Amino acid sequence: MININQIINEMDLEGNPSDHRVVVAMSGGVDSSVTAALLVEAGFQVVGLTMQLYDYGRALQKKGACCAGSDINDARLVSSKLGIPHYVLNYESIFQDQVMNDFADSYLKGETPIPCVRCNQTVKFTDMFSRAKKLGASAMATGHYIRRKNQLGNPSLHTGIDLSKDQSYFLFATTKKQLDFVRFPLGSLTKEETRSVAKRHELNVADKPDSQDICFVPEGKYAEVVRKLRPGRIDKGDIIDLNGNVIGKHNGIIDFTIGQRKGIGIGGRKGVDDSNSILYVIALDSKKNHVIVGPKEFLSCNKIKISECNWIIDLPQKSKFKVLVKLRSSSEPVIGTIKANFDSSFVFLHFDEPQFGVSTGQAAVFYNINERSHVLGGGWITEAPNKLADNNINNA
Amino acid sequence: MNKQIYLDYNATVPLLKEVKKSIINCMEIGPLNASSIHFYGRKGKDIIELARKNIGQLINSNKNNIIFTSSATEAINLLFNNFKNIIVSSIEHLAVLSSSRSEHVIPVNQDGIIDLNFMELYLKKIVKNDQPTLISVMWVNNETGVIQPIQDVIKIAKKHKCLVHCDAAQALGKININFEELELDFLTLSGHKIGAPTGIGALIYNDKINLTPQILGGGQEKGMRAGTENILGIRGFGEAAKLMDNPLENGCNNVKFLRDFFEERIKKLRPETIIFGEKANRVSNTILIALPNIPGDLALMKLDLESFSVSSGSACSSGKISKSHVVSAMGYDKLAYNSVRFSFPPNDAILYSENLISTKELDRLARCWSSL
Repeated sequence: MININQIINEMDLEGNPSDHRVVVAMSGGVDSSVTAALLVEAGFQVVGLTMQLYDYGRALQKKGACCAGSDINDARLVSSKLGIPHYVLNYESIFQDQVMNDFADSYLKGETPIPCVRCNQTVKFTDMFSRAKKLGASAMATGHYIRRKNQLGNPSLHTGIDLSKDQSYFLFATTKKQLDFVRFPLGSLTKEETRSVAKRHELNVADKPDSQDICFVPEGKYAEVVRKLRPGRIDKGDIIDLNGNVIGKHNGIIDFTIGQRKGIGIGGRKGVDDSNSILYVIALDSKKNHVIVGPKEFLSCNKIKISECNWIIDLPQKSKFKVLVKLRSSSEPVIGTIKANFDSSFVFLHFDEPQFGVSTGQAAVFYNINERSHVLGGGWITEAPNKLADNNINNA
Repeated sequence: MNKQIYLDYNATVPLLKEVKKSIINCMEIGPLNASSIHFYGRKGKDIIELARKNIGQLINSNKNNIIFTSSATEAINLLFNNFKNIIVSSIEHLAVLSSSRSEHVIPVNQDGIIDLNFMELYLKKIVKNDQPTLISVMWVNNETGVIQPIQDVIKIAKKHKCLVHCDAAQALGKININFEELELDFLTLSGHKIGAPTGIGALIYNDKINLTPQILGGGQEKGMRAGTENILGIRGFGEAAKLMDNPLENGCNNVKFLRDFFEERIKKLRPETIIFGEKANRVSNTILIALPNIPGDLALMKLDLESFSVSSGSACSSGKISKSHVVSAMGYDKLAYNSVRFSFPPNDAILYSENLISTKELDRLARCWSSL
């Protein structure tokens, strides 16, 4: 059962809810819609904002389709049902500059980017934040499953109660300053509870499926989007083995991810059938335009370099400490030791156990080793040398 | 909670009380399909013809050459489908710019007035006598309120044997329109800009020119626009036209007083405000302004949250605000995302039929603007 007083307490705003204007970032999905509904119930002056990020009709290559798609319309219908003002922000050019271009360039470098974090970092938590403040809001709320706790005036970030929905991986870049202003009313809810609130308010999005893909990538076909964004920049090249032998051809390194096993396009090799014969993508060499494949053991990675680090805690005195670290949104955290020089924005992290298939461009997100729910911060994996790289270094 | 103040009359004028009454009366008559031959059919036809007469009187066109459509946009599309060569001005409404698909665009100067010298030279260059060419210039710009020198446009166009269409959606009810005197070939109108319901527009045409319809069917509207007539909309349009049908020349003084009061307050409180088309001849009810560092959508949101309904740029059906092509065309490209339009009732008659807007409220609005 949802306790509205708990929601009000967690909003952490002094005085009566009716004294405060709260901007809700509404995507048109059930989560942000319920966020708005709960805050209306709690008595806040709620204003809904929806970002128009790209031309929906053009992205889906549908002639004559509206630029907005159905999500904006859903957000509008929900706002109307809740009786709150709702506005659309035209962020198409900002999104193109700061998210889509970065996404394409990252793939060209042989990385596997997470545009959703970039979007949170730039468009949502920078531009939309500033708009919310200019509209006189006391806070901006989003529908993320993540909790903000405020102990002794020092807000901290925690995983959502519903770990299957936890979105802390995507929000590691939230700065302490942003944490003063942002709120996550769904952090203490399960998805079932969220849907039940949507049903109680008779919101049209109550049964809307969760979004699975990157919003501007239809049907998960990211490579097609990169090809469209960077025409003429993606060349065919060789797939080579660890000895440098050409064993196949590829249509562009953007089609591959480190650790990928299926769909490499080198199946049916004769005369190899031991377990070592299963080949994985070990490295993507953007300079030579090579996809390098080899057995799994070569994916093993002992340490990574993490750049553009954001710390949501008071920086520890020790320059060496253990953390739990999450390397992909879907993977369980593992234990590692951070070696940091806090004057610089990067750190090195040594794993207790070697990790397989770590790819650059992904985020490394740190959690308190003693309190798994507490998000300490994170950064971007910029170097993840595996055994192949180690070998090369040894040979050099 | 503040009282809602509506200053977006160029978008739509609220349904006038008398118009509403006329529509309800019409609804109570009975089944009104004007194509039927019986009693009720004749009643329906009478209502449509009376409306045509009322609108004809308002624009001084007595030849009955008015075709009712669903909107000014439809009227424009119907007309443009008949021409391959269309020349437009750069500040036309999207209904004209999009449906003309024209690459022949006459620029405007910084005051938002069409460049007649350019037009003259351009026509000399591109008009070929064997191909009919249509020139489309709006009478009053919907964003700036700037009145175009339509007589000069017609004079130059006729010299080059071009036909002329004038989008008069924003002129109707604000200035005198004399279709006969002007040698205009086509005029398009929109009902809801003068207090009729939305969903009714009209094309006025020169009957020497044969047009091909775009909607085919039962042959209504002299075969020019098939589909059972929107009789309630037509009745409302006719009634609104009748209410406007008094000399407009002195009929905008009070509107102008309010607009000018607001303009002066803004200039005083926030002198860096840019007023587009300030030096040009403008209709009395419109003011388009911008502040250098304030995006129009922010201004609109803040004013809306303070209970002022105004508009900015051109909004897509999604609600996303794009830049104003009109402001760009006037050479203020950097301000094209910043413009905000305040439009008062089109004339004093409509001003009085509404709840009067007070100078006190306008003062509060000017203060809101200056605090952006």
